[in-house]
Amino acid sequence: MSSIDTAPSERRLAASNYLAGGGWAARVIADGAVAAALLAWWLASRTLPDFVLPGPLKVGADLLTLFTSPALLAHTGASTARVVLSVAIALALGGGLAWLARAVPVTEGIVQERVLVFLNSFPSLGWAILAVIWFQVSTFSVVFVQVAILIPFCLVNLGEGLAQIDEEIVEMGRSFTRSRWRLLTRIVLPLLTPYLVAALRISYGIGWKIALISELFGADTGLGYLMIQAETVSNATRVFATCFAIVVLFTLGEKLVIDPLARRFARPS
Amino acid sequence: MTPAHKQRLAAHAFTLGALALWLVYSRIVPPYQMPGPLPVARGMASFFADRLALGQLLLSLGHVAAAIAVSFLLGVGLALLAHYVPVLRLLVYGRLTPFLNSFPGIGWTLLVVLWFGLNDVTVIFAVSAVLLPFALVNMREGLQSLDGELLEMAQSFGRSRWGRFRKIVLPSLAPFMFATLRVSFGVSWKVTLTAELFGGNGGLGYLVNVARQEIDTALIFAAIALIVLFVHATDRYLLTPLQNHVFDRYRAL
Repeated sequence: MSSIDTAPSERRLAASNYLAGGGWAARVIADGAVAAALLAWWLASRTLPDFVLPGPLKVGADLLTLFTSPALLAHTGASTARVVLSVAIALALGGGLAWLARAVPVTEGIVQERVLVFLNSFPSLGWAILAVIWFQVSTFSVVFVQVAILIPFCLVNLGEGLAQIDEEIVEMGRSFTRSRWRLLTRIVLPLLTPYLVAALRISYGIGWKIALISELFGADTGLGYLMIQAETVSNATRVFATCFAIVVLFTLGEKLVIDPLARRFARPS
Repeated sequence: MTPAHKQRLAAHAFTLGALALWLVYSRIVPPYQMPGPLPVARGMASFFADRLALGQLLLSLGHVAAAIAVSFLLGVGLALLAHYVPVLRLLVYGRLTPFLNSFPGIGWTLLVVLWFGLNDVTVIFAVSAVLLPFALVNMREGLQSLDGELLEMAQSFGRSRWGRFRKIVLPSLAPFMFATLRVSFGVSWKVTLTAELFGGNGGLGYLVNVARQEIDTALIFAAIALIVLFVHATDRYLLTPLQNHVFDRYRAL
């Protein structure tokens, strides 16, 4: 998944220019196409039974209950809490591994050539199945799966960040203080922040993507559990609704938390 | 001993240590929790000895190849369309890509099962839907970085639209196309396993599901180990050298 680039703000600028190509006509076409797709969905759903293609209104209503009915909100909340917790743990572990590889050079081969390679090519479904065998149905099992999948992304991004840190600046800092803690909080962490935000953005996105998979076997709460329950009774409306709930939750978190963070901590360029 | 040597030695020692730890641990816990390295190796060997299992392996390979081809063609096509008709860019990158990017892969699988049933089309559709945004993002990166000056020069030298496309645009895009294929290859294996488990009537994911129901952990381990080794080996010994070759070939541009 090297397609996701690591931090640079200038690329984002170029990206927004590329998108701005069409002006208001582009907006009309983009939103018009979304409206047309919804309309086509609505029309198609009228001729098809609900277990094949439920209409957008039905799915919308069910989506709403996922956020309003207390019983279902508990599931939605459980999934959200697990994603947030897993991202935090993965950032800490991935960052720790990246730091280890830099601080103790002899371990670099172990971290980059063994741990990273292994975690990177291990299929997520494998973790999901094995976690249930090892830890039974539990929140720990779900968080374990997510952390195992997220660590390589955090490791790559934070490793990149650590590699970019200017040794000269750290050297200068060292000449002013001997406290490693001060060095870390005053120099290393601020320099690392853009990469931390990038790692957060990527792992948050992937965290939601795999939230469902990690809850398929190893949970008795959460959106993934709701989805697999719905699938067994051919309740396509609920399957759709859980998918859109993920889209909504992901977008909300990105717009309300991650984008502001990225703006606040972007490298001044 | 140079630092690079030391690193490699440490990495090999780590591998041996991990294997030893696995062996010891597998002796302590019951085999359904953690089968030892030997039963897993035997399980892997049986994939190649057993014609039925080999067939499943090849079927998965077919699913992967088909899904990569579909998503690559669609992704390149849509990206080029949006490039030459800028008014569509917002639709492709501002609406379609974020939607595909955040729509969960497992959701596609379960929905497509309801639509098409348990078969190859279901698996290929679900995997392609997951791969498409990766192709779009990569191709956009490539099209964005096209050298405008070079194209302008070609225009002033009287190259036709098609000539410019063939002589400049395509070669400049080659590295990005390759990156797309490489990313797709890595992602597709993981997704295919899931899609086959829920939506297939064959393939490695299907085998894993059977093994899961029979709590045949050794077979689950064997299938996963096979995927890890295959993906890693292909990436390291085939795709990386090829990619370097493609990059060298077109760096002159």
